[in-house]
Amino acid sequence: MENELRQKAKELLESGQVKQVIGYEDGSTAFKSTPCFASSPEDADRLVWNPTCVNNLAVYLPSAVKQGKVAVAVKPCDGRSVVELIKEHQINRDDVVTMVVPCPGVLNPDALADIDPKTIKNIEWKGDGISVTTDSGEISIPREKAFLDKCLSCTLTDPAVTNIKLGDSPERSPLKDKDAAIAEYEKMSVDERRVFWAKEFTKCIRCYACRQACPACYCKECFVDKNGQVWALKSTDPEANWFFHMTRAMHLAGRCIGCGECERSCPMGIPLTLIGRTLEKDVEEMFGSGAGQDPDALPILGSFDLTKDPDPCPE
Amino acid sequence: MEAKVIAKSDIGAWMKGLADKCDVIAPVKDGDVSAFKKIEDFGTLSIDLPTPTVKGLREQFTPETETLFEYKLTGQQAELTSDTAAQKDRLIFGVRACDAAALKYTDAVNANCEPKDALYFAKRKQTTLVGVCCTTPAWSCFCTEIGDFLANPIMMDLYLTDIGDKYYAEALTPKGETLIGASQFQAATDADKQAAESAKQKVIAALPSPIDHAEKGKDFDWDDPMFTKLAEKCLACGACTFLCPTCHCFDIQECAQGSKGSRYRCWDTCQFEKFTLMGHGHNPRPSKNERTRQRVFHKFKYSPERYGILGCVGCGRCITACPVNIDIQRVVHKLEADK
Ligand code: SF4
Ligand code: SF4
Ligand code: SF4
Ligand code: SF4
Repeated sequence: MENELRQKAKELLESGQVKQVIGYEDGSTAFKSTPCFASSPEDADRLVWNPTCVNNLAVYLPSAVKQGKVAVAVKPCDGRSVVELIKEHQINRDDVVTMVVPCPGVLNPDALADIDPKTIKNIEWKGDGISVTTDSGEISIPREKAFLDKCLSCTLTDPAVTNIKLGDSPERSPLKDKDAAIAEYEKMSVDERRVFWAKEFTKCIRCYACRQACPACYCKECFVDKNGQVWALKSTDPEANWFFHMTRAMHLAGRCIGCGECERSCPMGIPLTLIGRTLEKDVEEMFGSGAGQDPDALPILGSFDLTKDPDPCPE
Repeated sequence: MEAKVIAKSDIGAWMKGLADKCDVIAPVKDGDVSAFKKIEDFGTLSIDLPTPTVKGLREQFTPETETLFEYKLTGQQAELTSDTAAQKDRLIFGVRACDAAALKYTDAVNANCEPKDALYFAKRKQTTLVGVCCTTPAWSCFCTEIGDFLANPIMMDLYLTDIGDKYYAEALTPKGETLIGASQFQAATDADKQAAESAKQKVIAALPSPIDHAEKGKDFDWDDPMFTKLAEKCLACGACTFLCPTCHCFDIQECAQGSKGSRYRCWDTCQFEKFTLMGHGHNPRPSKNERTRQRVFHKFKYSPERYGILGCVGCGRCITACPVNIDIQRVVHKLEADK
């Protein structure tokens, strides 16, 4: 698969069809990969595709397309971010070539908890799960432990903006219900949820890694960064943190594709995807469709359909 | 200075004794992350000592948000109040050698201006630090490349080394000597001393060898093409710098509510686009190229030139926190090889 990816990337770069290919390359340790920006056919040899390729590379597209056409390696989930970016007019469909990689699931770092990280030499897909090569031999980790939660419930097929399909999508049924996590959450009363989030948001240090890693957070100037007319306090008081997160959540309603990059990037371990998924479920229930499906659809909160949409001013 | 031993099982009782005189702060588990918190219940003491904690000591001396003063307006009359009331003395337990070493740097920075940072130094003065030598370094730790403070700790009062069911306790300051005067501490034997020495050597052996980064930093290439590469992938967030124990930059903001309000400072970082944006619209570090260079150059080139010490203690926090795997140790090695 990796060879096929490199080959395609080379062709695209050699023929001048694209200015650069955004993919993954080996990171500073065997259990992390890092985004790779290949602009020459030689660079393409560095591309990798393995369970450590967790990042949603769509985050780079709005700025990358400014230098010319871009090819990007996307997992089916990340592909939905590309759909959103096109739908929201942040990139032109013609400026991006999506290379959809077949994805059995990506690494859940907790899977490595019992392994001395310094001994890890390689991680690859094997059987249903992954195989970790260490100094003292090979360790197989089964699917339910190896992959992120979002992967265990994933039912996604090729995104609507697929240009190049690499390999065959692995056939498998989800192991978990997509809403298992929020089912628990929804058992809480409104007051209990308030207490839950108040506690989580106290941890927030306002590093904005969540926002910066999010492909849907592309605003030129975030409301929280406004300096002249201050919209939101920069302080980390519970109320100010609450305001930042709730406003961000509202700005993402109907647009969050659930890639989980916000939560993965948060150094403080705040369960941010719970917000996105809860909102997404509401949007699906109210509007009958969700984010990242149809690049020609109108953004849900950016349009109003008298015949279908819920009455904004009910009696 | 003097050294004694204390049984691990006596740590709780010892701390409880101290709590009469000061706040006792130690790393405890809060959900998935360990954080330094004031210990209230010494009965169910559950200290979590990861290497290192997610956040270091920065917030203990420069809180994420710190009120500078509050004001109240009555007609044309403004009344200013600032919360200078002395806080309680405190003891921080479970400090890692790298985090203590970082205080040497932040002390230098905060003393290098007039007036000196009073809020910071007031807290420094009121704090006693009890360090614990690491036993299992994280994959990202490289403190031994920076300095020898793991074996020869600095900036702390007492240093504990795990020797089985007890700690070998070295007093490093008069404050530390007073601490080991408590009844829970017993005389150390030669065997204890040797056990501590070999425990230290064992952990050091698992870490990288020293490098004279300060010397090598002198020749860093301002135009190193690597920065364009890093800038491409850097997300310009604050994860690396907000977790860094030596980073110290802050923003000053105001919060006005009718006739009253406050001025506060909160953490800021050179990785944010607006950090260097001037009032008239010019930004001397307009792109991520300049900003990624700033972080590395500030720590490994400007700081040795300005204060005679590196602005990095090798704690590895920025390495594990970076969502795109920008690894400062690799970056610095590459810069040193490129020059
Ligand atoms: S909010 Fe989080 S899960 Fe949703 S698109 Fe953004 S990064 Fe992905
Ligand atoms: S990444 Fe986490 S700590 Fe940083 S701003 Fe977002 S929620 Fe807060
Ligand atoms: S630069 Fe990174 S490794 Fe160095 S002290 Fe800061 S967080 Fe630790
Ligand atoms: S944590 Fe990584 S992505 Fe974020 S600013 Fe630092 S180097 Fe850039």
